[in-house]
Amino acid sequence: MMPKPTLTTISRDEALEIHSRALDLLSRVGVRFEDIGVAKILLDAGATRADDRVLVPEEMVNEALKNAPKKIDFYDRDGKKVATLGDGALIFNPGSAAIKILDYGATEPRTPTLEDLKNLVVVVENLEFIDAQSTALVPDDTPIEIRDAVRLYPILRYSRKPVITGAFTVENLPVMLEMLKVVREDAWRRPFTIFDACPSPPLSWSKVTSRNVIDLAKAGIPSEIVSMPGLGATAPVTIVGAAILHHAEVLSGIVLAQMVSKGAPVIYGGSPALMHLRYGTPLIVAPESLLVSLIYRDLARFLELPSHTYMGLSDSKLVDYQAGAEEAYSALAAALAGFDVVSGPGMLEFESVQSLEKLVLDNEVCGLVKRVSRGFGISAEEIAIEVIEETLLRKGGNFLLHPHTRRYLRREVHVPRVWDATPRSRWGMRSVYDEAHTTVTKLLKEGSYHELSPDVLAELNKVYERLWKRAASEPKYV
Amino acid sequence: MLVEGLKKVLYEAVIEGDPEKALRYAEELLTAGVDVRQVISEVLAPAMRVVGEMYERGEYFIADLIASAEAFKQVLDNVLKPRLSSGAVGRGVVAVFGTVRGDIHELGKNIAKALFEAEGFEVIDLGVDVPPERFAEVVESRKARVVGLSALMTTTMIEQAKVIEELERRGLREGVIVVAGGAPVTEDWVRKIGADVCGDDAFKALKKVKELLGVV
Repeated sequence: MMPKPTLTTISRDEALEIHSRALDLLSRVGVRFEDIGVAKILLDAGATRADDRVLVPEEMVNEALKNAPKKIDFYDRDGKKVATLGDGALIFNPGSAAIKILDYGATEPRTPTLEDLKNLVVVVENLEFIDAQSTALVPDDTPIEIRDAVRLYPILRYSRKPVITGAFTVENLPVMLEMLKVVREDAWRRPFTIFDACPSPPLSWSKVTSRNVIDLAKAGIPSEIVSMPGLGATAPVTIVGAAILHHAEVLSGIVLAQMVSKGAPVIYGGSPALMHLRYGTPLIVAPESLLVSLIYRDLARFLELPSHTYMGLSDSKLVDYQAGAEEAYSALAAALAGFDVVSGPGMLEFESVQSLEKLVLDNEVCGLVKRVSRGFGISAEEIAIEVIEETLLRKGGNFLLHPHTRRYLRREVHVPRVWDATPRSRWGMRSVYDEAHTTVTKLLKEGSYHELSPDVLAELNKVYERLWKRAASEPKYV
Repeated sequence: MLVEGLKKVLYEAVIEGDPEKALRYAEELLTAGVDVRQVISEVLAPAMRVVGEMYERGEYFIADLIASAEAFKQVLDNVLKPRLSSGAVGRGVVAVFGTVRGDIHELGKNIAKALFEAEGFEVIDLGVDVPPERFAEVVESRKARVVGLSALMTTTMIEQAKVIEELERRGLREGVIVVAGGAPVTEDWVRKIGADVCGDDAFKALKKVKELLGVV
């Protein structure tokens, strides 16, 4: 047992209170489903209708929570287990689906290409503390109707890290699932992907995302219910009010998944955002947004569900002081709160822009944060009384010379790679942003990646070609 | 174990920073008839060079460097030095050695020190990061005939010139043989700064110093 810092925000009693309020909301105010077919699933199972809303009774929620798995074993593409979600796995992955990319030195982001996504995949593959890939960029040079699925291709082809993804359409999800299946036959039994599905606040579900939840539940692929209350706009401006609404939304997603398939793996997720009081911009890492995340982290713990958040990112436009500060404080909060999946690294400007340099710098933050949250050992050797005594009495007080120091320094001390800790004489007047760019350039030139074997790739290419045929286009390969 | 095998395990023991193993294998190498100089130039110095490179690459930390230096030093002091032909040619000659200001590398200086001591020189070791004034003071107070200025980095080599300037300023330059030592030092550099002996190799430097002293 290692002592480690942990962050809890609400007590069990407070969690119970918020949970009861959310249950009350679901049963009295209900949820709106854009897709009547989806609403029917709940109505057939015992929910009632009130105008265009579905009132979900408490028993139905309780039944769903009973069936939802408390832990999900999570694997990489090649079938190696990487974590158990539900244990505070702390899987950092790039903030997903950015519509722009910010080049080194640029002040204006540009629209990304499929090649950019491949480059991002290679960079992430080489970043030690970014544990999973994500479909992080929306490539502008691909047909709009298949863009969601196209994004999976470079990841599956070049990376063996797990993937956080999602669909923008109902039609492409089955194709994406097929892509997974050709990559690894048991991709559904030993999952290496998580699909985000976002309700539309307040308390409603679009056709696409609700259908996605259903199809994922049927397939047995983990879905992440990412509620996005907009404090002061689509949710109360009060933190606890937004948390209750958030909770009710996530519960509605869990109910839907469990009604379709008992035991369907679901992750309690979220991306709360404060609407800026003057500009109306959605602030993902405002303290108020962060507090909502911390509250629902404890709600997920209360319900024994794996959890996810959007933290470890920034709303800044540049890779600057604000970017670093927002990144670090939110990533540390997420780690200490014990989230399983944390989406965010690389991201800027209200979840819309990715930067490769920021990914490299965020990797440093993730490393620091993981070090803090790992805590420390307290074995007799680590307590080191004999070492202290020997060094003081017989070794002149210099611990550097004691073998104990060498024995433990590698496991005890995290050494950042890009962060500057040089003495001035070795510094070279370079900023960490420049260093990050050097690293990006180096990784793109010499970084390693794990390409699929030729026969598996050939199978993947077949599915990929069919996907492009649907858009009446020739497939673009990267 | 064959000689090549012994060299390899000694090399590894120094890199790993394991003094016990290093002492044992060094003994065995000498017992097998290998020359002390060969042990230094073919095993110890290359091993320490690798340790330095590992540090530069970020694989080794300060504690690792120190452990390797300790293994090296113990072999040098306890196994090799006693076996060096204890010559007497340097007897009565004071030599002041140090690593120049801004530089903390002392491997080369320590090898040179061991060789000079083995020849009977009285070596005064000023340590590392030594300012020009300190070199000059000790040369003067101890009436040194030899001064060895070690620098491992091209950025600190310039300090060797500053020591020579300081010696000149105090009127000490004529009476002392200046050895400019260290891996980056070349004959050209030695000429350029007005030193007497190029110490890129400690054995070579010792030979040259003896020639200049007329004690060969």
